[in-house]
Parts: sequence; C-alpha cells; structure tokens
Amino acid sequence: MSIDFTLDIRGESCPYPVIYTLETLKDMEKGKILQVITDCPSSFRNVPEEVVKHGYQMAQEPMKNGREYLFYIIA
Amino acid sequence: MKVINKIFNHYWSPYIAIGIAGILSALYFGITKTVWAVTGEFTRLGGNILQLFGVDISDWAYFQLIHMQGTTFSRTDGWIVWGMFIGALMMVLFSNSFKIRIPKQKRRLIQGLIGGIIAGFGARLALGCNLAAFFTGVPQFSLHSWIFMVATGIGTFIGTKIVQLKWWKGKPVLLKGNTAEILKKKHPIQPYIGGLVAILYIGIIVYLFSTGKTMLGVAAIFGAAFGILIERGQICFTSAFRDLWISGRATMTKAILLGMAISSVATLIVIIAYGLEPVTKIAAPSTFIGGLLFGLGIVLASGCETGMMYRLMEGQVHYLMVFIGNVFGATLLSYAWDHLGVYNYLVKNGKPINLITVMGPASALIITLILLALCFIIAVYWQKNYRFEVGFKKGDHNKHVH
Repeated sequence: MSIDFTLDIRGESCPYPVIYTLETLKDMEKGKILQVITDCPSSFRNVPEEVVKHGYQMAQEPMKNGREYLFYIIA
Repeated sequence: MKVINKIFNHYWSPYIAIGIAGILSALYFGITKTVWAVTGEFTRLGGNILQLFGVDISDWAYFQLIHMQGTTFSRTDGWIVWGMFIGALMMVLFSNSFKIRIPKQKRRLIQGLIGGIIAGFGARLALGCNLAAFFTGVPQFSLHSWIFMVATGIGTFIGTKIVQLKWWKGKPVLLKGNTAEILKKKHPIQPYIGGLVAILYIGIIVYLFSTGKTMLGVAAIFGAAFGILIERGQICFTSAFRDLWISGRATMTKAILLGMAISSVATLIVIIAYGLEPVTKIAAPSTFIGGLLFGLGIVLASGCETGMMYRLMEGQVHYLMVFIGNVFGATLLSYAWDHLGVYNYLVKNGKPINLITVMGPASALIITLILLALCFIIAVYWQKNYRFEVGFKKGDHNKHVH
C-alpha cells in the first residue's frame, strides 16, 4: 500500500482530529490514501467511526504504534 | 490473562461504563446524601487558594452557600475529586498509555484557559456542572437540570461555530508520503507504577476507615470508581452535545441518556427506600445563563470539568490549562455572586422545584423517562442523517458516498 499523504495530528484533542481528517479527505483526489497519526485516546474511536459514516473506507485495520494510532483511509 | 487484557488494554463500551456510573451515583447518594459532583469542590479549592494569599473570604455569601469548611482532604467532595484523578491515573498506567501530549499549535493552551474559565463560571452560576446539574441532577428530579441541559445544548452549538472558524481552528500538519515512524515494542513499566499507586491509595482508604472517617473513605472509593469508569469508557459530556453539531456523532449522547435513565430509576428507589429528600437546586435565570456559558466554555476548552480530569491524567498538557481555568472561573463566580450582584439579579427570584413534589414520584419518573427516551430517538435520527459541513441536506453533497 502506498501512502499518498500523512496527517499528523498528535497533541490535538477533540473535536480537531475528526474535523481535520474529514476536511483533508474532502480535498483529496478519490482513491488516494491518507495516513492519520493521532495520540488522543478519544480519537482512536471517533475518527474511524466518523470516517466510515461519511462514506470513506479504511484501507486496512488501524495500527497501534506505541501510544499512538495510525489510520489508513481511502479518500 | 485474556480477561485482564480486555479490562486494561481496551476501552470499555461507553454504555456499560456510564450505566454503572449511574447506579453507583444513586448508591453514593443513598450512603452520603450528597451527589456525585466536582465543580463545588473546584470552587472550594479556589477559596483555599485565596485564603493562602491571605484573602478573607468568611463573608463571601457563595462560600457559605457551598459550605466552605476545612481542607479538601476533610471533605467528601474533595475525596471524590482526588479519587477520580487517581482512579483515572491508575487505568492510564495499567493500560500503559500515559504520554505527555503537547499540542503543536500553542493557541490551544490559551483556548483551553479561556474555555475553562467560561465553563467554570457558568457551571457554578447554575450551581453545578454536567454532573450535579445534569447527570446526577436529572435523576434527582430537580427541574433546574432540564433547564441547564437545554441551555448547554444552545451554548455548545454557539461554541462549535467559533471553534470551526479558521483563526481558532488553525491548520494541521499535512505532508506528502509516509512520515510515520514505527516504534519498537518495549517492555512496559507503567503498569507497575500503576500498581504502586493502587497500593498507596488502598492504604489511604484503609487509613480513612480505621480512623473513623467513614464517609471520607466511602467518597474515596466512589471517587476512584467514577475515575476508572470515565477513563475506561472515555466518557465525554462535551462530545455528547458538540459532536451532534459538528459531524452528527451521537454515541456519547445516547450513552449518557441511557445512563441518566438507569440512574433515575435507581435514585428513585434509594429516595423511597431510605426516605431521603432529593437534592434540589434553584431554578432561576442563572440556571439558563449558566448552562449557556458552560456549553460555550466546554466546547472552546475541548472538555468539561469531568472529561478534563481523565485527559489530564493521560498526560494531555492542554487540560492543565482547562483545570486552572475551571478553578479560576468558579472562584470568579463566587466573587461576583454577592460583590457584583449576580445573586440579586439572576438568582433571588428563582426557587428549587422538584418534580416529585410537584407531581408525585410515579409521574416524575415516567415524565423523566419519556423525555429521556424522546431525546434518545432524536439522537438516533441525528446520527443517521446529519453530516459534517452539510447538515441534514440530502442529495449529491458528497462525491464519496458509496
């Protein structure tokens, strides 16, 4: 899988992870892959939930990376 | 091992966490005759700080109203607060998830402080935060909590309009390609520190009971339990309102409504079984204005007085500013209460109204449950149909809809 963009939102807490992710996806070319790096525990849940609800697909399962999570989303 | 892994390394369903919290808060009321609350103690902490600087607060009416006596360690409300901090910290350590998290955009720290002050001021103006004026207020059948809830809804709506403005929101770091560094797995030491904290805390609880301070011991246990539940369930009262307005997420909204329904039934049982008087707060213009400010403040701060607590324990530096803001805002209100005429203008003409007194216990419970169910149905509809940036509009608004 080739990652096209990386959105690094470590240190940000709600609601910004969801807002930034959805805004970035909206501006991306369809089919491109966005990687999101986040370390706010609430976003481990609400980012994937909201991404899927808004019609995007997860390219693969979220990956736990130490105390961070990596999400892979198809725009 | 599997069970332990499930408990400590996974977050719990918010429905289960808040449901248990609802039952525990009813039990806590039955034992101590006070409710699970935090901002009252924040105000007293502010009072203690003023005393430290030699300010004479003995004639401040608000501190008399909230029974400003002793130190935080001689008050049940104090042990609820410290218990919550410690309970949340233990869970963070057990799950090896403590990490100092500093926002890249420094404006967040100022925003946290400003939001924290507004939320602290608003919560105390209404005589309680999302707990006493909301999560534990509705189950006490106190009318003020319904006024507060509606006002908080409006306040959070205004808040979401502000936080989505360009200059407030700021810009994230978006880079081309893959910039993630994959970390090597290390043997965790945090769970051991968590174990040490747990042992010390159990020692404190044993000490409180053995020296006859039974109620303080009870508060210390319940505080830790509440802290464990809000951290494991990632219970966020701010999210329950704010996420509806932003992206139509209603997970927390539904969980909290369910928790309040469970707590209402449990609390009524406690009230009847022990013949207790429900805790009823004044319903006045101050309740509405307080709720409005509280709602605005929690969205600006990215967390309320409860959610702030476990996030601070996770190592999120941002919430230290929110905590300072909350205490400062609450103290500001206690000054304004009599010195600036807040009581005379906004509170004096109100009165405590309890649904049980007005319509009897059966009707009070039925009405409460019906209203909560109605809110639940709206939340389900909202989640299904409301989308980020488009709201309820249907049609070809999103090129990515599958």
